[in-house]
Amino acid sequence: MGQVELQNVKKSFGSVDVIKDISLDIKDGEFVVFVGPSGCGKSTLLRMISGLETMSEGTVGIAGRDVTDVQPSEREIAMVFQSYALFPHISVRDNVAFGLKIAGLPKEEIDAKVAKTSEILGLEKLLDRKPRELSGGQQQRVAIGRAIVREPAVFLFDEPLSNLDAALRVQMRIELIKLHASLDATMIYVTHDQVEAMTMAERIVVLRDGRVEQFDTPVRLYDRPQNLFVAGFIGSPKMNFVKASPGESGAVLLANKVSKSIPGVVQDQLTPNMQLGIRPEHITYSHDSGDWQGTVTVEEQLGSDAFLYVDVPEIGQVTVRAVDERSFTRGDTIFLSFDPERCHLFNDDEQRIN
Amino acid sequence: MRKSNLIGSYAAAIFVMLIFTLPILWMFMGAFKTPVDIYSIPPVWWPDFSYLENFKALLAENWSFLLNSVIITLGATVLCMIFALPCAFGLVNFQFKGNNFLADWILSTRMMPPIAAAVPLFMIFNGMGMLDTHAALIIVYAGFNLPFAVWVAMSFFRNLPKEIIEAARIEGCTWFQTFWQVALPLTKSGIATVSTFVFIFAWNELLLALFLTSSDAKTFPVVISGFSTLSRTYWEFVSAATVIQVLPPIIFTLIMQRHIVSGLTMGAVKNG
Repeated sequence: MGQVELQNVKKSFGSVDVIKDISLDIKDGEFVVFVGPSGCGKSTLLRMISGLETMSEGTVGIAGRDVTDVQPSEREIAMVFQSYALFPHISVRDNVAFGLKIAGLPKEEIDAKVAKTSEILGLEKLLDRKPRELSGGQQQRVAIGRAIVREPAVFLFDEPLSNLDAALRVQMRIELIKLHASLDATMIYVTHDQVEAMTMAERIVVLRDGRVEQFDTPVRLYDRPQNLFVAGFIGSPKMNFVKASPGESGAVLLANKVSKSIPGVVQDQLTPNMQLGIRPEHITYSHDSGDWQGTVTVEEQLGSDAFLYVDVPEIGQVTVRAVDERSFTRGDTIFLSFDPERCHLFNDDEQRIN
Repeated sequence: MRKSNLIGSYAAAIFVMLIFTLPILWMFMGAFKTPVDIYSIPPVWWPDFSYLENFKALLAENWSFLLNSVIITLGATVLCMIFALPCAFGLVNFQFKGNNFLADWILSTRMMPPIAAAVPLFMIFNGMGMLDTHAALIIVYAGFNLPFAVWVAMSFFRNLPKEIIEAARIEGCTWFQTFWQVALPLTKSGIATVSTFVFIFAWNELLLALFLTSSDAKTFPVVISGFSTLSRTYWEFVSAATVIQVLPPIIFTLIMQRHIVSGLTMGAVKNG
């Protein structure tokens, strides 16, 4: 019912290409997140699906129907905006019922649907208030209520949680996941926050400069990033990168010193200026031996975890995740090694090799 | 602030206020004076406010022209709004080639002095048999105020958050429904401001009314100008008529005041 298909979609503002040939296939009932740095085109892409933004080229299909030239009101979509965009002059009840009234539904049906929606979102006591009398979290709930009451084929969310404080954001995140599970509807969600993307999405579209860098499940993005950008963008703290050059018999030479064979890599694939990516938790450390020697410059204690920022002369700064580790402090000498099975090798074109 | 400074400030403020209010005050007094009192030297400083003969005589002969003024002013204000608001909404929300040019062009038509249009308008309405009709003045006043009204309304519509308009469209509104159900209720203060200005312009306009009306649709300002004749100026009637003339704009402005203040400052501050 609610599948979304984008085919060779392009968008230019004057001479600036904002969206450069994107094709996506989003399945019915899927929760897909568009993530990327600001200016990558994620909001523009969402607005093109909504019909609020026209396309320069390409087609959009929603629920099996080509809606490229269809008005937003006829696309069977609902959208939740970052600023909530509630109608300030009418009550919460009228805000939620707005679309139903426009559609000309009978009053009893509208009342029943509004009652059901406000029960799901806990809005019963707020129905007669004006939007300005609500807190940010309540306004966001009303905006979501206005979206779900119409039972659209596709929900579009444009950074809906970024105006909320951190605690409320986590709470709303969980509620949205539950809502998705109970409604079983297609949801497309835009955020610049990769933690939101990782926790909510079934599949994530990573965008950069108007192009799709990778479209995959959160776990695949984390475990097997297809290029250097995705590897650096997904994960917090960021993945460590070490310069690598071709060594002997298929091995790679790291920082002109350490030679390692990476499983699954053959000599032909190696290029002169490669980058080896290692996640902070895949670096092992010890007091006396390892591939590199460095000095702990900053120690971030989170209680269960600690992050050690280590200055290694040949490489630069390396981030290490240490679980339940309290034996290193600032200024200590530390030896680092890594597991070749769990590293990511990228060639000169920043594409994955292993 | 030191006491002497404070007194100085008040004195200056009162002096400036007197410059502005004395003529109006003198006119108000004049409305209650007999023709003899008007010209007497030394002047009559405090007239007998129970003397209402000026008003009675004035209204007995001219009440129909006052009615003309009311009909034409309200008609022009409503007609002007009917055209200006959708036009401004469209210019702000529709992206099409040349929409900026169109907006500039609309404003440029306001640069023409009314006198330049008076003769052509006279000939047009004469040809259409519409001289000295309410409709002619309503059309002319609405037309002359359209550029201003469109531009001010555009600034109000531009200040509406874009997402609210977009949300309405996603919720299923046509452009007209978006305009009617969302944009208009949210720009009430702007509409009050624009309509007040249009009202005052139309109510006080003299030049075009002189050209285009003679008896049936003659407006009140034309009546006032008629009290200045070659033989003498009837100051007692001028004063009484002017008191009547200034009342509606004051009442209208008082009613709209709350909206106008927020309307004039709207957009001065972000999200304001």
